[in-house]
Order: sequence, then C-alpha cells, then structure tokens
Amino acid sequence: MTVSNGLPSGASTVERAPDLTSAAPTARSRPWLQALVPVALVAVMAVLGLVLQADPLLTLDEVLALVVFATATNLLLGGGGLVSFGQAVFYGVGAYTVALGWLHWQLGFWVTFFLAPFVGAALAIPIGLVALRARRLYFALSTLAFSELANQLAESRYDFTKGANGVFGPFVPSSLTDPVGGYFFLLAVTVVSLLLMWKVHHSPFGLVLRSIRENRERMQALGVNVYRHQLVVFVVSGFFCSLAGAMFVVYSQSAYPELLDWTTSGAPVFMSVIGGMGVFLGPAVGAFIYQFGHDELVRYVDDWQLVLGGVLLLIVMFWPDGLLGTYARARWGSRRRRGARDEEDADA
Amino acid sequence: MDADLEETLGTQAHAQGTPMSGSTIVTDLVGVLTTASSLFIVATGLTLVFGALRLINIAHGSFYMYGAFLATTLVARVPHVGFWVALVVSPLVVALLGIAVEVLVLRRLYRREHLTQLLATFALLLIFADVALRLWGKGVRGISPPSAVQGSFAVGGAAVPRYDVVILAVAVAVGVGLWFLLTRTRLGWRIRAVVDDPELLSASGTNVPLILTGVFALGAFLAGLSGVVIAPQQAVQPGMDAQIIVAAFIVAVIGGLGSIVGAAVGSLVIGIVQTLGAVWAPSWASTFMYVLMILVLAVRPWGLFGTPER
Repeated sequence: MTVSNGLPSGASTVERAPDLTSAAPTARSRPWLQALVPVALVAVMAVLGLVLQADPLLTLDEVLALVVFATATNLLLGGGGLVSFGQAVFYGVGAYTVALGWLHWQLGFWVTFFLAPFVGAALAIPIGLVALRARRLYFALSTLAFSELANQLAESRYDFTKGANGVFGPFVPSSLTDPVGGYFFLLAVTVVSLLLMWKVHHSPFGLVLRSIRENRERMQALGVNVYRHQLVVFVVSGFFCSLAGAMFVVYSQSAYPELLDWTTSGAPVFMSVIGGMGVFLGPAVGAFIYQFGHDELVRYVDDWQLVLGGVLLLIVMFWPDGLLGTYARARWGSRRRRGARDEEDADA
Repeated sequence: MDADLEETLGTQAHAQGTPMSGSTIVTDLVGVLTTASSLFIVATGLTLVFGALRLINIAHGSFYMYGAFLATTLVARVPHVGFWVALVVSPLVVALLGIAVEVLVLRRLYRREHLTQLLATFALLLIFADVALRLWGKGVRGISPPSAVQGSFAVGGAAVPRYDVVILAVAVAVGVGLWFLLTRTRLGWRIRAVVDDPELLSASGTNVPLILTGVFALGAFLAGLSGVVIAPQQAVQPGMDAQIIVAAFIVAVIGGLGSIVGAAVGSLVIGIVQTLGAVWAPSWASTFMYVLMILVLAVRPWGLFGTPER
C-alpha cells in the first residue's frame, strides 16, 4: 500500500512537532536536530522519486501541490486565525496564468510558472483589502463570494477562458512531462516554498500575527496595525496558493473553472484541520492523508465524500488539534505538568 | 420594521394583479417574485438559525435537497394528493433530521470557535450528499405541479403560471408566520433573547437548549419546505445542495445575517438581478450577483439589515 510510504515520513515529522511551536525552548538548544528531520524527510521523498512507478509518482505530484496549497492556506488559518474559503481563487489563477499565458500570448512555461505567484499576490491585494474589512464568519463569506465570482467569471467568459471545459494543452516542457523529472521539479519547488513559509511563520511578523489571533484588542492597544498585518499575510498566502496552482498544471496540464470553486477552497482547510492547524507541518501531513486517502478509497468505494465528511466531523468534534497537534500536545504535556492541561481537555 | 416585509411582498403582489403596460412587464414581475419567493424561503431558515445560534449552517443546503428528494418520492408513491402530502410531510421529516444534527453534533460545539461549527456543517453536507446518492441515485428527477394548480391564467396579456402563485403564497405565509412568532409571542421573545444573554434567560426559567434545538429544527423545516416548493420548477438532482447554499448565502448576507426582513429584501434584490439579468445580459447575471454581495460586504460587512458582530 502506498499509504505506508506516506505515513512514516509524516510520523517522523511528529518528533519535532513541539519544537515547531514558537515558544518551544528546546528548539533553540538543538538547532541541528531541528534541521535533521526535514532533511531526512526530503531524502525519503527523493528516494521515492527514484524507486516509484509513474502512477504513484503522479499521486505524489498531486500531494506536493496540495502540500504547498494547504500550508499557504494555513498561514491564514493557523497563523492569523483567518478562515478563508477563497484560497481557490489564487490556486485557480495560478493554474490559469500558465494556461492562458500559453493560449493567448504564447508565453513559455518557465515565464508563466514564475509569473503565476506574483499574479496571485497582486490579485490578493484588492481581494484582501475588501475581505479583511469583515471579521470571522463575514470574512469567510466574503472570501467565499470571491471564490464563486472567480469561478463564475471563468465559466462565463468563454472567449478568454474557454468556459466550463477549461484549457488543456501541451504547455509543459517535455523535461517536466517526464514523470521523474516533473516529480523532482515539484519536490524542489515544494521544499523551497516550505522553507520560505517557515521563515514567515517564525519571523517577528509571524509572531505578531499569532498574537493578533490570540488577542486582537491587546495588539491594537499596543499600536500594531492589525489590518495591515493581516493584509500582508493574505498576500503572502495568495502568492504561495498561486504557486501551488501553477504546480498543479505541471502534472495535470490543464486549468478549469472548478479549480476556483469554493469547494476547492474547502480542501486545504480540511487538510489543515486533519493534520493540525497549530503546527507548521500539520497541513502538509493533512495533504498526504487527504490525497492518499482519496486515491485509495475511490478504488474500493463510491462514497469518498461520506468518508471524508465522517473523518472530518470526528476530528472536528473530538480531536480539534488535528493529528500532529494532538501528538505535539501529548508530548508537550508529558514533558511538563500534565494535570492542568488534561483537565482542560476533559472540559473541551 | 417587519411591516416592511409584508408591505414589500404585498404591494408587489398587488402590482402583479394590475398590469402597467404590455405583457413583458408582467412576465418579468412574476419572474422576479417567484425567484424572490423561493429564495426567501431558503434564506430565511439560514438567517433564522444564524440569528439565534450564531451558526452558519452549510448543511442547510442538504436539508433543502432532502426536502426536494422526499417530495419526488412522495409524489411517486402517493397518487393524486402526493404533492400536498409532501408539502407537509417532507419538511417535518427534514426537521427531525435537523433535531438529530443539533442534538448529536452541533450542541457539543457551541462553545467552540466559529471555524469548528462551519467545518462540522460542511462535513455534514458531504455526508448527506453521499447518503442522498445512495438513497435516490445520480439521476435527475422532477415532478410536475399538482393538477389543481397546473396551467396558467392571463394577466394583461401575459400567461402567469398558477403554480407561481402557490410559491408566492407559501413565501408570504412563511414571512408573516415568522414575523408573528418572533415579535408577537413569548416564545419569539425568548428566541431573540437567546443570542443576547443565554445565561440570564436560562436563570429566568427558560430551557435554553430546547429553544436552540427548536430554532434549528424550524430552520431545517424551512429548508425542507423550500425544497418541496421548488421541486416542480427545477430539476431535482445531486449537487443542488451546494448550489442553493451559495445563493442562500448571497441573499442572507446582502440582507444581513440574522434579519428576516433582510432576507426578504435580499431575495427581492437577487430576484430582480437574476430575472432581469437573464433577459438583458444573460452571461453577466450571476457575475453581478456576486459583485453585489462583495460590494455589500465591503461597505457594510454585516449586511443591509444586520447588526455588527461583537
């Protein structure tokens, strides 16, 4: 089973999960250990690229794009406490940038691929300016409206986007349509993206953002411009979501309106919740489980949504910290005084 | 304020009876009112639940779909009066489903953050969608209006489908009924008090959990009812759940989540945009709908008739 290939790598990230929370003192004292696990993880992924057949590699391609997509979405979700149901706008725009650049302006893949995240970031500015005026549920609904608007535009502007059919074409160079080449390219992009997002997460900026999530009023009183901080993270998230969309094109060679749909926006939120929003690598683990779960399940049963919904419901109700979060918390608890936390768990 | 709702719907209904000029105006007006009426019945349930529970129920779309599917089943099973039976039975069955959802899932999540509740109802939407596939299959179903209200009558040279009047009547009944319940009964006062101060309400002898369950069931009932009402007009098929929830969001958000009057105004606005848009600029009609929602959210994030979130 391919699942077992995905899981040990996930399990090993768990080891460092507590260190990834910003306040962990152990992370400072053993920096080499902190670097060890990601390096090992990337090594495992690289070996997989050499030994696996084309079929499972394709699934891994999908996973890699989703890892970036989910981690970028979680910058908002776990980092900023901003529930966006509109990240598919950027995902789809990333894919469409590559596809439409080829269709209308005969732009080469490399140009559009590196252009895509900047298009997404540029688009995130006006959307963020509007959506961030609203808070919590209203923010979620605003972003959902943008998602539907984008989806609707892509479907109805047939001359520009080819409508509901989407754009299919040979816009990916042959070095990347080769399964192994494509996989290593996506792996490299994923590693670089995660490193950059990790930098953002651990910067003073990331800390301020999490403080805003915890206590918005207090940060405002301290003189922090909440709106601007949230806008910046929204743009950063848009940047990487678009990059993920461009990664999607590498293995699918297409762009179509469903990529912009609000249900597509829901997927990275699910992944973050499954893996754990509070841990940096939580969404990545969630993406592995989501995609492999999907690919394995659809072979045997029709009711993929039923299983996904059921798992999601159970996690939301009984395991709100997600897989990594729950594990991190357990280790955290065993290292420190247990009592108080466990009582808190019992209450929640 | 709630008189507005009655008046809006009333005067429009009156205008429908007295044609101004030509048949197209009548046709457009009937189109607007029918669309608005069916949207109002769905959105009002969503907004009612939000008003009392501060919860956005994505599974509202599932309740709507189940109402429609149950109607197709009942019409097929019960000869002659199937539709009228469905009009009563389907919403009640869906309301029971709503009670189960509230008691088994949502009740445990009220103290948690909004995201948790949003995701839980999203998960329920996914689950219900696959269960519906199992129960009713992938095919497109449809029912025709009951024989008593088939056909149309002429108003100012335009043919007005009789069934449109049924939809309008149901919407008015729902609007007036909710207005009466919320403003003229002790129960309605308690429902409105739940959001402001559940502790005080509980201390003064009200069974708050029961009220919450009741409101959620009523919301589900309205979703089921709208499903039945819409069934003779639209294809009943999988996917209509996610489709309607977006439309209901737009209506409820434009009007202001939690406001019944807002839902009425919102559905009229969307009814106008959809109907007239379909005539004048078909490919831009739904685009304009989303732009409208975004504009409202940008200027007044809590909607036209809503109250700002604390």
